[in-house]
Amino acid sequence: MSELVLETEKLDKVYKLGGRQVRALSDVNIQVKKGDFISIMGPSGSGKTTLLNMLGCLDKPTYGKVVLDGVNITKVPEKGLFKIRKYKVGFVFQTFNLMPYLNAIENVELPMDGTKKSGDEKRKRARELLKMVGLSEREEHRPHRLSAGEQQRVAIARALANNPAIVLADEPTGNLDSKTGHEIIRLLGKLNIDQGTTIVVVTHDSLIASRAGRMLFLNDGKLLAKEKQGTHLLKKELTCPNCGREIQPDDTFCPRCGKKL
Amino acid sequence: MAIMISIPAGIMANQEATQGMTGNLASTISSMQEEINKTITLIEVSASSGRGKFSSTPSGTPSNMSFGTPPSGFEQEEVFTNETVGDEIRTIEGVKDVVPFLEKSSNETTSETMSTPRGSFTISRSLYTITGVCLNSSFVENYSILPTNITAGRNLQEGDSGVLLMSSNLTDYYGVGVGDTVEIYGESFTIVGIYEPTSTEAREVYMNISDAQTVTGQVGNVSRFDVYAEDVSYVDDIAEVIKAAYSDLYVTTYEDRLATLDNMQEMYTQSLNNAESTIAQTQATATQEIIIAVAATSLIVLFVMLYTVRERTKEIGILKAIGFSNWNIMSQFMLEGILVSIIAGVVGVAIGSIGAPILTSLLLPQVNLFSGSSGRFQLGFGSVNSGTTGSTTTTASLTPDLILLAFGAAILLGALGSLYPAWRASRTSPMEALRYE
Repeated sequence: MSELVLETEKLDKVYKLGGRQVRALSDVNIQVKKGDFISIMGPSGSGKTTLLNMLGCLDKPTYGKVVLDGVNITKVPEKGLFKIRKYKVGFVFQTFNLMPYLNAIENVELPMDGTKKSGDEKRKRARELLKMVGLSEREEHRPHRLSAGEQQRVAIARALANNPAIVLADEPTGNLDSKTGHEIIRLLGKLNIDQGTTIVVVTHDSLIASRAGRMLFLNDGKLLAKEKQGTHLLKKELTCPNCGREIQPDDTFCPRCGKKL
Repeated sequence: MAIMISIPAGIMANQEATQGMTGNLASTISSMQEEINKTITLIEVSASSGRGKFSSTPSGTPSNMSFGTPPSGFEQEEVFTNETVGDEIRTIEGVKDVVPFLEKSSNETTSETMSTPRGSFTISRSLYTITGVCLNSSFVENYSILPTNITAGRNLQEGDSGVLLMSSNLTDYYGVGVGDTVEIYGESFTIVGIYEPTSTEAREVYMNISDAQTVTGQVGNVSRFDVYAEDVSYVDDIAEVIKAAYSDLYVTTYEDRLATLDNMQEMYTQSLNNAESTIAQTQATATQEIIIAVAATSLIVLFVMLYTVRERTKEIGILKAIGFSNWNIMSQFMLEGILVSIIAGVVGVAIGSIGAPILTSLLLPQVNLFSGSSGRFQLGFGSVNSGTTGSTTTTASLTPDLILLAFGAAILLGALGSLYPAWRASRTSPMEALRYE
């Protein structure tokens, strides 16, 4: 039994719109273990983003609690929340949200501002991360000179900057064509396997959602009881059962022996 | 924003003007008092109405103090007395010397057209004044009865006859020089010397008193006497005796003149006070303007920064989502506001240093020292101390202190104006900010 990174208990969120009360989330209980790659699927308006915002300390639940990496973040005062956002959570957004006036490497360094790292250490770490997402050649480029997929890779590198306990991705493929979208979800899967990064992705795209290890379903603010296994493989399973050689997570045929997987 | 900041910088530099005026006043008064000390034993006895030489003698007579030319077009009736009166005065106890003068307007006149708001009119006045001087060598040596600043030729001396000394403005007018002959009341005179008058207004001719009496048809007559007492203590008594004996003569002692000087000093002080109050008023106005400028500047910074914060809501949301604290965000926006203000300050000082002189002439009043006093005194001062003018212009100049102040103000106003927007930025909810487009 691996340890829990994230746990919610009876999470409720009620918005007041005009005089009307809108219940965005109702009695949501999720458990995320270390090294999990989870997707939460649901149609638009089902409360996916609301849930993710609450998991990432961007919003407070009306009722219930969120325990992140052993800390009950619903009890942390407003003034202390920035530290949790900085060190425990990495956010990936649908619209990438890079700083337009900073180049790729500076964008990746940004969350490390105000940490104990020296300038050189930050630069080294940012280089490492850009290499990890395959953008070593693009360090000096500003966002407008990068393709959408490249921008999202920079955003993922940025999310990993402070080595967070969990990466929360809100529709990370929503603004990308399907090919690029699959590249991004594949990158997230690779990071999950190589780095052991715990990842939660929310999406309304069932193809994307199915690439995760575990699929959860949200509808009308309620988490459905059914859960599905995704196509994502764990590291120990990434060998060809026929020849025993290493294979890629989304390979359908073994590149060595040609046997269908 | 830059221009708003430059305005207070331009306005604040007019304090020295007051001090400058006080300095001028002091030197003027001290030189006047020196003059008075030289002539305290002098009693003027004049046949003319008014106050002796104070009004009848053209300004610039260097021998004694003279306060001004009669106003143009208001020549006084010339009155004369018999020169034997001088001999009688000479016998009064305590009298040391009696120096007779004959002052007469020239027969030649000039016409001047004066423009006034109510229309123009032409007046004619005599072209110059003839002063007949008793050329007794002891008088010439002891009392400065002749002009001293000779620029060409020589001064008059005992025994001169048929010759004259002429002020340079008059020789320029005629286009003549030393050795040339001029006609006065139909008689020819040779110019032996030219002198520089202390006032450009004073066109004069000096000659032997007997020549003057002859040509002007005033044989045996004089217009005034300078009576010198043996000692200051005699002055009052002598004056009393003369007044009692000759009721038609006008007697002035140094005390009278001192009273006049006091009067002038009072007027001077009063006009200085007026000037000071004008300056105080200007400063009060300037203070008001500065307060308005400061308020406007802060408001402009406030609105600009509020706009900036609004524009960059999304950016604030991103920064908060990736772990920037409220303090990080607030200080960043404050810094930006201050930076913008410093740049504005640089531009403002640059504009201010170019614009201050222009602003001065537009915003600051000209301070007239003699406003409200009579024209005579203005001219009088001109003759005593030709370097003194009647008005002082205040100036605004940029000093290092002022530049520093402007920068200090820029930083302070920048901080002040961006305080609220920065605070608001820091309090933005990251979730709502991220949703903002």
